[in-house]
Amino acid sequence: MTPTVSASGLSLHFGRTRALDDVSLRLSPGVTGLLGPNGAGKTTLLRVLATAVPADRGAFTVLGHDPATSRGRQEARRRLGYLPQAPGFHPDFSAFEFVDYVAILKELTDRTARHREVRRVLDEVGLGDVRGKRLKKLSGGMRQRVALAAALVGDPEFVVLDEPTVGLDPEQRMRFRELIAHAGEGRTVLLSTHQTEDVAMLCHRVVVLADGTVRFDGTPAELTARAAGRVWSSTERETGAKAGWRTGTGSFRNVGDPPAGAELLAPTLEDGYLLTLDGAGAEVTA
Amino acid sequence: MTATTTAPPSPAVTTHGPRASWTAVFALAAFEGRRLLCRVPVLVAFAVYLVWTVWRTHGAYDGHPALQDVDRATQGPPVLVGLAVLLGVHQAVLRSRRYDTDRHLSVLVVQPWRRTAAHLLSVVPVALLVAVCVGAQFAWQALKPTAVGHGSPAELLVGPLSVLLFGAFGVLLGRLLPVPLAAPLLIVSLLLFSVFASGPPGAAGWSRWLVPSVGENSFATLPSDLIGRPAAWHALYLAGLALSVALAALLFSGGARLWSVRAGAAAAVALTLVGAVGQSRGVPEETAEARVRATVAPEKTQRCVARDATVYCAFPEWEPRTGEWAAVVDDVRSLAGGGAEKRPLTVRQRIEARHGLDGDAALAASPRPGEVTVGTSWGGNRTPEFAVAVAVVLVTGREEAAGAMCDGRIVTVMWTALAGRPDPVTDLRRVRLDDSATGGAVVLSQTETLQMTAAHTEVLRALLDLPRDEAAARVKGNWAELTAPEVTTRRVAQVLGLGAPEGEDECQ
Repeated sequence: MTPTVSASGLSLHFGRTRALDDVSLRLSPGVTGLLGPNGAGKTTLLRVLATAVPADRGAFTVLGHDPATSRGRQEARRRLGYLPQAPGFHPDFSAFEFVDYVAILKELTDRTARHREVRRVLDEVGLGDVRGKRLKKLSGGMRQRVALAAALVGDPEFVVLDEPTVGLDPEQRMRFRELIAHAGEGRTVLLSTHQTEDVAMLCHRVVVLADGTVRFDGTPAELTARAAGRVWSSTERETGAKAGWRTGTGSFRNVGDPPAGAELLAPTLEDGYLLTLDGAGAEVTA
Repeated sequence: MTATTTAPPSPAVTTHGPRASWTAVFALAAFEGRRLLCRVPVLVAFAVYLVWTVWRTHGAYDGHPALQDVDRATQGPPVLVGLAVLLGVHQAVLRSRRYDTDRHLSVLVVQPWRRTAAHLLSVVPVALLVAVCVGAQFAWQALKPTAVGHGSPAELLVGPLSVLLFGAFGVLLGRLLPVPLAAPLLIVSLLLFSVFASGPPGAAGWSRWLVPSVGENSFATLPSDLIGRPAAWHALYLAGLALSVALAALLFSGGARLWSVRAGAAAAVALTLVGAVGQSRGVPEETAEARVRATVAPEKTQRCVARDATVYCAFPEWEPRTGEWAAVVDDVRSLAGGGAEKRPLTVRQRIEARHGLDGDAALAASPRPGEVTVGTSWGGNRTPEFAVAVAVVLVTGREEAAGAMCDGRIVTVMWTALAGRPDPVTDLRRVRLDDSATGGAVVLSQTETLQMTAAHTEVLRALLDLPRDEAAARVKGNWAELTAPEVTTRRVAQVLGLGAPEGEDECQ
């Protein structure tokens, strides 16, 4: 039973900054969410796993191939789809040309089969009708879908998505969730996001990263359960709460260590995430 | 939290490994090649190139091309396409950096040095298109029945090789200096370099061969074996340089760890040096000797054929043209009288080849009695000029007499030369320096010029206005008097039954 990705002890420093510190994880088919505050090391971890940058220490395999070796890296890349954070575009390319270009760089060399595959992924992300349009004429959401199509072209077994829903309006975000959920069927998808709703709705597993270390690795339900008995309602912000905010009803929702007799509330994934961070940039007040 | 992954078959990937990588490189090269051909600078440059080629093909060489000139004429305009390719390919190399797609593309299978290879290969279709244009341009001239001489494949390669060289420079620049302004600056630098490398006009230094297209100062047409251009060495130099620059681009984009790229780069530099040394050795001694021989004793390398009373002696490559010379000689003879129409003539092709193509030098008139000089160019103005030279020898017996002749005989010479032409007045304009048909003017020739006074022109025009048979009867009937040395123009007019000229009759 080989996991898609198996990493142990990954560490990476940029000068004196510790970006990753002894990160170990195993990824298997389905969508895995990667949560963490800004600067937690999410993008760095994704870039390491996508073979864009090598780790200083540690090892990992992608589908049994070791990216530390040239041959292993090439084999891993053949099975990889990567959507970077805020991806760039070639504005003069049409959607079809851009995905076709990426497909060639993925060594899809049979022209007929490649063009069929490009049409398939563009249809899959709902851009079949605009595939001939220049990228500069497409909306931001459409461009993001082109980038997702580029990540999915060639049917990779391991897909790395770095904050794909940032900057999208709610409707576009919902559309993207559909696409990611669909992409996760039969593949291993690692989804980095700030949106706990994305994780709650899409992921069968979640990893929380803070200060370059893994703070949690489990199911969304397990992360939510961490906040069981630690979320309560009050009429004013409790000083003992790690996070607290006024809700629409006028009462305060507090997360932390409740006082005796507090009115407990049902926890959410976000509550579990905030408690897991425990001070790593998690103070929320309103 | 582990599970076995069941990977679905990838729909379009059929093979992996180095072979697939190179197939991907060629696919990427085709992709980039299509885009390069659609770049505005490349399209504009190609349009200009094609228009120039068509215009040049139709209008050049007066319909009588010498193929050893045609091959060189294909070299300049492709440089324009090459510079446009340099701009286009440089922008293509910078694309991923400019639009921040490097982060994405860097994790794809085709490595950066292979992408560089694809950019280099994307230039090949443009070079092939230029090669087709060069081939068509040359073939169009070569297939003319009036074509003579031999083209050099090495000279024909210069245009396509220039495009490859400039394209390789564009890719290398994109890898070394990834800023958009670098390409225009490189173009300016290359143009400045070509100016300095060419040296002052007339200079024939080795440095002028460092640039792709090397022009000549002379418009003269020489036999192909006397050209003396190191065309093959230069093609080798250009090919080596293009390869060197291309492999340097690969080295700078991650190919340095591959021994094959390093070895290839070393071989390419060696090839460039061999070509550079070979092309800088100047004109071979045997070619220089052959040039002298062809200039001072052309009869040693010519073959002669006799037709009626005329012997035609031509350099081997021009032998097919003797028929056209004979037609002109026969026309002129048919209008002469007094036995001159049967005067033995030798039409000898002569050249001034001692300076090669470094400069144009005038031919001295032949000192041999009955010998008429014909050059290596034909058609256009050259044909009536030759007719005048034939007429001079029929009238005076010697070609060198033309320079000293300033009397009424000029009317007879010019009428005999031009009256058999389809449009005598047009040909009169063509042989005169100022393209006039009235007044005094210098009449051009391969050797000695003639000086026509206004009076000569006036009488000649009046004679040309007569029906040709009637004029011919008057000329032939009075040939002896019309061709007597020192005969005056007024007397010629009187003998021919024409009005006395009113214009001045003094040679300058």
